[in-house]
Parts: sequence; structure tokens; C-alpha cells
Amino acid sequence: MSDGGEAEGTRDEQNGSNLRSGDGDYSRAISRVAMAQICEGVGFEGFNESALDSLVDIAIRYVCELGKTTRFYANSAGRTGCNIFDVVQGLEDLGKPLGFTGASEVHTDCVVSSGAIREIKEYVDMADEVPFAQPVPQFPVIRERRMIPSFLQMGETPAFKHVPQWLPAFPDAHTYVRTPVWNERLSDPRTDKIELARQHRKAERSLLNLQQRLVCNGSSVATTSAEPCNGGNGSGVNNNGNLSLEKPLEAEDIGVSRVSIPPKLSSQAQTEKQVSLLETFAPAIEAMKDGLDSGSDGEKTFPEKRDSVFLELKGGKKVFGEPLDLKIRKAVGRTSSWFGHEGEKDDKKRRVEFILRQSLENQQELPQL
Amino acid sequence: MNGQSSHQQPKDGRHDDDTALTEFLASLMDYTPTIPDELVEHYLAKSGFQCPDTRLTRLVAVATQKFIADVATDALQQCKARPAVIKDKRDKQQKEKRLILTMEDLSKALREYGVNVKHQEYFADTPTAGLDPATRDE
Repeated sequence: MSDGGEAEGTRDEQNGSNLRSGDGDYSRAISRVAMAQICEGVGFEGFNESALDSLVDIAIRYVCELGKTTRFYANSAGRTGCNIFDVVQGLEDLGKPLGFTGASEVHTDCVVSSGAIREIKEYVDMADEVPFAQPVPQFPVIRERRMIPSFLQMGETPAFKHVPQWLPAFPDAHTYVRTPVWNERLSDPRTDKIELARQHRKAERSLLNLQQRLVCNGSSVATTSAEPCNGGNGSGVNNNGNLSLEKPLEAEDIGVSRVSIPPKLSSQAQTEKQVSLLETFAPAIEAMKDGLDSGSDGEKTFPEKRDSVFLELKGGKKVFGEPLDLKIRKAVGRTSSWFGHEGEKDDKKRRVEFILRQSLENQQELPQL
Repeated sequence: MNGQSSHQQPKDGRHDDDTALTEFLASLMDYTPTIPDELVEHYLAKSGFQCPDTRLTRLVAVATQKFIADVATDALQQCKARPAVIKDKRDKQQKEKRLILTMEDLSKALREYGVNVKHQEYFADTPTAGLDPATRDE
């Protein structure tokens, strides 16, 4: 029983949705008000929402069904316009399941004596007149359609002989003829690579920073080492911040801020054996110091990790303002690379080697921590 | 002669019918149905009913109104026929309950008209809600 009910329910739902999708919200809302008024006239005081919705559906279906049947009868008679007889026949058809008086005498000449009409007559006489609550405008509103102008209206003559002039004109040539377009594509893959390299650098820098901090924490037993370490840390952090914030093109700040540090680091590296991380870089730093100009010595551990990104650098090539990339490249070019091999090596391979070395040193460091 | 006379009677009858029809339609125009004309015209146009005569649309509107009124009346009967659930402290107001159109009454009333309206009694969260634990495991 329940299954049968469900199946019917789904079927009804589908039918209902078909009909419902065609209805506009506006017409349904009006129907709701009308149905509510009718029910109120009958004597109801309140409704359930679902019940009212069902009633509205039924009313709409009734009207549509009556219209369809009427049209069917008119078409059967070879007409397209419906008249009163068609309507009466449709009414009788719809009333047949329930039955009405005079059903056996259908399709007579006299329409008024038809049972269905008689019932309606009685209803009209009996029922109170309850007009609709609000004024309803004419709907659906038909919008003014803009037609495509014809050949004649455009003043054109169609290109082909078989095309009459009263047809809509063809669209203009520029809408479908392909004209050459200059391919101004920016070097997007390059900027993407640059961005990627920058992000790599940032990640490596922060990793190094973290390791250095661990190292410093490990060596914080000795008070003498704490300060420069923290100083180095602080400057490292500052530099990190500087490096991360600015683009690779600007380098003035880096150069300036780094002037004070290397002496510290180099001295620190020489004095303390614990900070082996810096020791590794000490020779490199010195090598770079030798390699570069006298003034440009703002090299730290972090910039070493940068790949040599080939940027187009314009503008002043001041000593301090020189971007680090150039410095690195110069360093690599002039001195034997501080990894101990000559010539150009891949950035990635270099980085990999560096990271491996770092991990080895960290293994040495960890027991100390 | 006989044919003529026999012909005449239907003619008179038809003439009377015509007048009766026009009278009926005129009386129809006096009555303003609750369902507005524009709504009925909209749905009739959807079904292919083509008629510029407003009297016919009025006829359709009145017919629909009559139909709905009949359904509502039957539902009202169902509602009144149900025994009063509320038992007030004051016995004299025992039958005093609000007449509310519910789905049950409507479906009962519509069944006579051949319209099968089934209403969900309750909605479950999952397909297995309300089943026995044994069957649920399966």
C-alpha cells in the first residue's frame, strides 16, 4: 500500500512539476489568493499551506484541461476559434466522471438546457458574488521586440540574387571577417619562473634562519656567544625581512644593512667552533669579499642560497646598490665557486648539495642541543 | 407540410434557445467571478483556447469557481464530520473548533472527483530510518 502510494506520489510529482514549471510565480500567486477567497466563501477559516497549494494546482489544471478540451472540439469541427458550444461540450466532458443531470442528452442543439450549463446557472444564482481582492493587470506583458532591419530598411541590396529584399539584412562584415591581430603576449612563463624562484628563495631562507636559531639556542650556554648570536639572529631576521619584502631588483637596503654584519660573523665564525653553520660560510664570505669590489662586502649566508636569476637590471650599478644576484654571479664567475667546482653548475644541484651539507651538520649539531 | 411544420418547431426551439443563451451569457457578465479574467485568459491561452469573447472566459472562470467551491464544500463536510478532538472544560463549547482546510479532508473530497492526492505523512532523514535494526544492518 505504501509502495503504491509512493509510486503514485512520484508520478504525480513529475506531472505536477511539468505543469508547475510552466506556471509563473505571478499567476500562481494570484491563483492562491483566488482559491483562498473561494474557500473563505465556502466557510473555511484557515488553511494548511500544502492543502492550499494542492487546491491551486487542481484549479489551474482544471482551467487548462477545459481549454484543451474546448480547443479539441473546435479543431474537430474544423475551426481554430472556439465558441460557446465547444466550451459547453468541454464542460460536459469534464463533468462526466461525477455525473450531471441530463448527461444522456448531450450534444443537443440547445445548449442552455444542457445539464452542465444548468448547474452553472444555479451556482450563479445561488452563490454570493465575491470579486477578486486586488486589481490584476493584463499579463503576460509582451515586450516590444526589436526586429532586425530588412535589406530594404537598411538601404542595402543583398549580395545574392535569390535573397529577397524584405528579409533581415546580413550582419556587417566586421562581425565575421577575421582581421589580423597583433600578438602582444607578455613573457608570462618568464615571470612565473621568476616568481617561483623567489618563493624558493624565501623558503630556503626561512629554513636557514630556523636552523641558525636552533644552533644559536644550542650554544646559548655561553653568554659571550649569545649576544652575537642573537645579534646575528636579529640581523638575520631583519635581513630576512628585508629580503622577503623587497624585490630582487632593489638591493640598496641589503647592501647598507649588511655592511655591519660580516665583520661580526667572520670574527664570530673564527672564534666559535660550535657555530659550524657559519663556519662553512666563512671561507665563502671571505672569498666573496676578495672577489668583489672593496666596498661591496655585504654578503651574508642567506644570499648565497639564491639562484642566479637572470634578471634584466637597468639603472645604476652602484656598489651597494648592486643586486645580490649579480654579486653572486660575479662571485661565481670570478672566483672558483665556493662549492669547490669550476664553471657553471645547475642552481638546483648547488642547492641540493648545500642542503645535504646542512643536514649533515645538523646531525652533528643535534646531540649538542 | 409535415416536413415544414416539423422543421418549424425546431427553428422556434432554436430561436428560444438562442435567446436563452444570450440571456444566460448576459447574466454571466453581471456576475464577477472570484477568479480574475486575466488569470483565466492566461491559462486558456496556454492551452490553445482562442476566443476574443470575454463572455466565454467568464463562463470558464465561473465553471472553475463552481468546481472549486464544490470541492471545498465537500472538504468542509469532511472537516465537520470528524469528531471534535478538543474537549474543552466547558462542555457547551465542545464542537467549537476552527475549520481548517487540511490535506486529509481535501484528499478525501477529491477522491470522489477522481483526483488522487496523496500526502506524505512524515518525512524521514535517511532511507533506513524507522526500520528494524536487523533489517538496517542488511
